[in-house]
Amino acid sequence: MPSGAPSPDAAAPLLSVSGLSKHFPGVRALTDVSFDLKRGEVHCLIGENGAGKSTFVKLIAGAQKPDAGTIAVRGKSVVLNGPRDAKALGLAFIFQELSVVDGLTVAENIVLGDEPGRGGHFDRDVAETTARRLLAGIGFDGLDPATRVGRLSTAEKQAVMIAKALCANADVIVMDEPTSPLEEQEVRRLFAVIATLKAAGKGIIYVSHKMREIEEIADRVTVFKDGRKVATLERAEAEPRELIRLMVGRDLGDVFPSKSRQPGPIVLSVEKLSGARIHDISLSVRSGEIVGIAGLVGAGRTELMRSIFGADTVSSGRVLIDGKPVTPNSVRRAIGSGLGLVPEERRAQGIVGVLSVFDNLLLPWTEFPASRRETGAPRAVAQRTAQTMDVRTPSLDQRISLLSGGNQQKVVVGKWLAMKTRVLLLDEPTRGVDIGAKREIYRIIDELARQGLAILLVSSELPEVIGLADRIIVLNQGHLVGELPGTATEPEVMELSMLHEPAA
Amino acid sequence: MNRNPAIHWIISDRQRLQTVVTLLVLLLMIAAFSFLNPRFLTLTNFQNVARNTAPLIISASAMTVVMIARGLDLSVGSVLAASSVVAATLAVQGVPLPLAFLAAILLGCLIGFANGAIIVKMRVSPIIVTLGALNIARGLAYLITPSAILVGLPRNWGSIGTSSIGPFPMPILLAVLVVAIYAFVTRRTKFGKHIYAVGGNEEAARLSGVNVERTLITLYVLSGAMAALAGLVLSTRVGSGDPNIGVGFELEVIAAVIIGGTSLSGGEGRILGTVIGAVIVGVLSNGLNLSGVEPFWQYVAQGVVLIAAVVVDKRVNEGVLRMGARA
Repeated sequence: MPSGAPSPDAAAPLLSVSGLSKHFPGVRALTDVSFDLKRGEVHCLIGENGAGKSTFVKLIAGAQKPDAGTIAVRGKSVVLNGPRDAKALGLAFIFQELSVVDGLTVAENIVLGDEPGRGGHFDRDVAETTARRLLAGIGFDGLDPATRVGRLSTAEKQAVMIAKALCANADVIVMDEPTSPLEEQEVRRLFAVIATLKAAGKGIIYVSHKMREIEEIADRVTVFKDGRKVATLERAEAEPRELIRLMVGRDLGDVFPSKSRQPGPIVLSVEKLSGARIHDISLSVRSGEIVGIAGLVGAGRTELMRSIFGADTVSSGRVLIDGKPVTPNSVRRAIGSGLGLVPEERRAQGIVGVLSVFDNLLLPWTEFPASRRETGAPRAVAQRTAQTMDVRTPSLDQRISLLSGGNQQKVVVGKWLAMKTRVLLLDEPTRGVDIGAKREIYRIIDELARQGLAILLVSSELPEVIGLADRIIVLNQGHLVGELPGTATEPEVMELSMLHEPAA
Repeated sequence: MNRNPAIHWIISDRQRLQTVVTLLVLLLMIAAFSFLNPRFLTLTNFQNVARNTAPLIISASAMTVVMIARGLDLSVGSVLAASSVVAATLAVQGVPLPLAFLAAILLGCLIGFANGAIIVKMRVSPIIVTLGALNIARGLAYLITPSAILVGLPRNWGSIGTSSIGPFPMPILLAVLVVAIYAFVTRRTKFGKHIYAVGGNEEAARLSGVNVERTLITLYVLSGAMAALAGLVLSTRVGSGDPNIGVGFELEVIAAVIIGGTSLSGGEGRILGTVIGAVIVGVLSNGLNLSGVEPFWQYVAQGVVLIAAVVVDKRVNEGVLRMGARA
């Protein structure tokens, strides 16, 4: 296998770190962490948000400098002064925010920064040949090197990033939550790529929150908690309950609340709703009931939510709350009728980052004049909501962007509580939050249902849908293809979402 | 998807489609003006349009890559004026013309370098920095000469603006040369790929080892140089060095670039589109002139075309996306 830098010691670990520490003002982000990565292994990193994983990754990426400790690559001690140093040493990083350039082609992205060609000339032929070879090596031979990356799916963009890492002769590849945006079959494909990389002697550091994945691909697992390494376990010892116990320092018991809810009368009815990406969908949700919506990306889940909420244009059909039709295609009317939406992209659609927690909580409120909102009733309502939701913030006047992802999400859900919301539409409510915060959000969702809200839940994580929902509705290509009870198993749901083609 | 291979070739690439649509708009405009005025569709008039549009094309080519890299240069109109008066002043004092022209271009480079360096090193928004430079360069132009230099210019002062090689006027040849170089650089060089990378995803470019700062500064230097060159073409054609020229030129340049399909948010755009955009701006004012439309209405027309171009582009894009989704 060709390797960028000749290894001074083939037996030495690809990467070994000892005594790594990093302090920020007031925070000990990382304390005395030791870690090593061997050739041909997948080493998983887990820990709650703020446990130190990201700081650790930033230090080995050269994005930040450690206060103490050493980093050795292939047995040789190194100092990383920036991302370029890390790249030169054969370290590659595949972050959630994929570092691809949409306007350039697949081949141009793969060779970017290291383009073939004499002098300043860009040799497209060589670039495309290289790209084709690298992509074929990871099983993506179908990807045309001349395609603009902006046209690719997330999974394909990841493949481009992996090929780019190989192009730079990286032999340490760090992947941060690579499967979050992926569908089940894309995840399979990524795991096949990871197996190929292992076989080629690469070392992979894999950061993830998902137990099932860790069980499947990890050779070793390192658990972080409060900026320290708690343990490194061999595959055989890395049992999910044990990992969770190590992560949170206590046994979480069941992650999902019990489903002993008593659904009441029907609150939300959707009748033959059609729009750009959804076709003739009818469903109903009772008070105190959680209905899950499953389906692959592109099945129309988000579009259904947005259509019910009046944010996407509806061409026919109607939405009723308590039997009364909601004026279509108007978010204001939908909110007035008692609908609330927790959107898919928290940062882009859920919060206004520059506003305070208080302002975000009262965002849907229109009936109070601005001057009186600071005090009195609204303040009390916000206070109560923040308490109910257990939002951890130094004050209601804190800028929301400074809170953790889990706490931001509590505010996004909470703002609907402060309203007279009857139906809550939750689109990927736990995306990008750690397991502790997830569990808390599950508890809150259950609590809201018990208070009589009707809840419609979309999630890409099947266990989440199955764990929370009383009924599961499956979409495929914009059509409703089936309904399953909350006791359904993952294979049952997958079968419906993937195999059951809607009648055209 | 459409079965016709020619149509498929066109709509398979957003940028290509955009260029074709812009070209159709241009042809439509030419057809309309030809119909309205018999003097429009003549070789002389076409040469005239081309000569008048040359400075715009030269500066807009440079602006295109600045905007692809997610930058903006508002100072080009003032740089154009400052460099013309510098060249004229030196020429009047007996400095050989090539040296005077070189000095003007260097001044453009210098202002461009200052723009780029402050934007990149101090992390100030390009709008603010180049807006400042717009005022500074205009002020300098007036400080050098408060009124147009008309007398004392050497006889060969018009060597760029009014001469020809064969049937081709010099301004047009220069514009073609600049366009060819920029088109080659954007398509066939590593530097060209870096421009798109910096504009499309600056962080990705940096992590890939692209020297983002040097790339951006180079683009601003070139923008200054091309604005100066445009200034020389313009002032040697009209036979003066005038601190008043080029007021509002930057807006025409940006309009040409945007009509040509370069996105304000960076990462996308092509030189060919800008050329068509610049010619649209040129043909519009020429056609309206010939049709006897009041100059004030020309501003209105230009504004309408600019907005319409962006709206049409958005519509067409959405249409193609829908067709793609249906396929």
